[in-house]
Amino acid sequence: MSENVLHIDHLTMRFGGVVAVNDLSMDINRGEIVALIGPNGAGKTTAFNMVTGVYTPTSGKITLMGQDITGRRPDEITKLGIARTFQNIRLFSSMTVFENVLTARHLRRTSNFLSATFRLNAAEEKRMRQETEALLKEVGLFELRDEMATSLPYGKQRLLEIARALSTQPKVLLLDEPAAGMNPQETEELGAFIKLIKDKFDLTVFLIEHHMNLVMDISDRIYVIDFGKQIAQGTPSEVQNDPAVIAAYLGVDEEEEVSPA
Amino acid sequence: MTDMKKKKLDSATVISIVIVLALYVAVFIAEQFIPATSMLFTVIKKGATYALVAVSMNLLNGFTGIFSLGQAGFMLIGAYVYGIFTIPVVSRMDVYQYYNGGLVQFTLPVFVAMLLSGLAAAFLALLIGLPVLRLKSDYLAIATLGFAEIIRALFQWDKLGPITNGSNMLRLFPNFNDFNIRNANGDVVVYLSTLVPLLIAGVCIFVIILLINSTYGRALRSIKDDEIAAEAMGIRLASHKRLAFCISSFFAGVGGAMLAMYQTTVQAKSFTTAMTYEILLIVVIGGIGSVTGSCLSSFLFVACSEWWLRFLDQKQVIGDFEVPLLRNGFRLVVFSIIIMIVVLFFRQGIMGRKELPDLIRQLQGKKVGGGASK
Repeated sequence: MSENVLHIDHLTMRFGGVVAVNDLSMDINRGEIVALIGPNGAGKTTAFNMVTGVYTPTSGKITLMGQDITGRRPDEITKLGIARTFQNIRLFSSMTVFENVLTARHLRRTSNFLSATFRLNAAEEKRMRQETEALLKEVGLFELRDEMATSLPYGKQRLLEIARALSTQPKVLLLDEPAAGMNPQETEELGAFIKLIKDKFDLTVFLIEHHMNLVMDISDRIYVIDFGKQIAQGTPSEVQNDPAVIAAYLGVDEEEEVSPA
Repeated sequence: MTDMKKKKLDSATVISIVIVLALYVAVFIAEQFIPATSMLFTVIKKGATYALVAVSMNLLNGFTGIFSLGQAGFMLIGAYVYGIFTIPVVSRMDVYQYYNGGLVQFTLPVFVAMLLSGLAAAFLALLIGLPVLRLKSDYLAIATLGFAEIIRALFQWDKLGPITNGSNMLRLFPNFNDFNIRNANGDVVVYLSTLVPLLIAGVCIFVIILLINSTYGRALRSIKDDEIAAEAMGIRLASHKRLAFCISSFFAGVGGAMLAMYQTTVQAKSFTTAMTYEILLIVVIGGIGSVTGSCLSSFLFVACSEWWLRFLDQKQVIGDFEVPLLRNGFRLVVFSIIIMIVVLFFRQGIMGRKELPDLIRQLQGKKVGGGASK
């Protein structure tokens, strides 16, 4: 088995009486595309928010490449190498495409506010701009660089969010429903794109997605959760035929209730 | 003004710089020929002061999205620090007449004292920022407003008299007129009393523009646009907000020192909430997120309130006809109506988010990318 990158160990998140995520354990290895799926309200985004530091888990542990990151601040976790996109697009609305991606380079700066204000960091600034241009070319947004981010068509905005996340130079990329609102054509292109950037930027990808075609197409492994609990895991074909998964997604007659795996 | 978007300065930016420099030259020339008592210079001096404070407030409200109303408090700190450290030692006995000449018995050079004004305000911002910046939007506004009130009360406290002169005013410190160059007879040779304040404000605003267009400026704007996304992009919210708060307060402090020089006296009770509201009004009218807008509107605001509308306060007779309604206080009525009209018909302020180079680009027929970057 290859090198373990992200390790989630018995993670639980309670909001008052509601258990949003219950004893979730996952292992994500370097270079894999791992999907987390489940019906609406199963706790997928909550799991994401714990990994990225938005929530501190009630119990459990998250390890990034051997380092405990449980309960660290979101910006610290991003600095350590986990970047994310959002389910509902959150671009910087007052900025152009170029600036959106450039801003995500800020965390790798070596300048302080004085050296940046008085342009003593000109070399670094220039390098950041060149890297941003290069990145925009790689993801195919270079032509749109001077457009306002929010004026882009929906699919391009999703793409820009990924580009912005890549700009933080992550090791693990978390995609929260990257294909939401996309048509089948766009979804297919997105799948190819995710595979492409995974190889190009030496990434490990962890995604939440509802488009089953996309999930089955690109994932190496899939975890399925329902009501915050893991009900199945395995390769796409294994998961597809798992009775517990079918039950969670389609429902079953009460007489032939399937006990969770 | 710099343009960081392209490596070389584009023509619009060059034209903007030329316009600003031309204004400076015009002011310099005007100052030599027009009598120094002209209202024009009063307006420019006060306008420059307000422009600096308005831009510093815009840095917080318009660029970082922190709704702070503590500006008058930081100006007060700046004004007092300036006053306390620049009163000539010989005059201290007069000024601190109830406190035995006060505690401070030395005098700092004017520009050192101004720098100190800014630093004192920034340091205080650092301290109160720790608790206050945890709050959001209107709660933050109320907390900073409260802070400004506490400062105002504190500086009038009798026990602090040896330093602050209690509720008595500080005076006899160097003011704008001391920038004029005089000959041995004490006659003014070169008038600089308007140009220098305009230069000080210009340099400070230029530094703010540089900051806004640096990587830190982008980080601050991203915080305003979307805190959650900014944090997810590795931008530490607390430290960046604190930075913006301190820098803004630094320049408010410098602005306070300038106000002290403009007024020639300092008294804590004049730094009221109303002063913060005036600044806020300037920022809103100019356009939240536009430095050019804040500068323009502060000069317009000061000109209207101090000069152009003055005639409304006096009885005016045209021929045999006495214009009705004109009496003391009517100016404020008209002024309020003008502001309401501006706010109603220019929702984004006069400039929106655009800056001077954007306007010129527009005139040149080029596409402006929403005026987000300069």
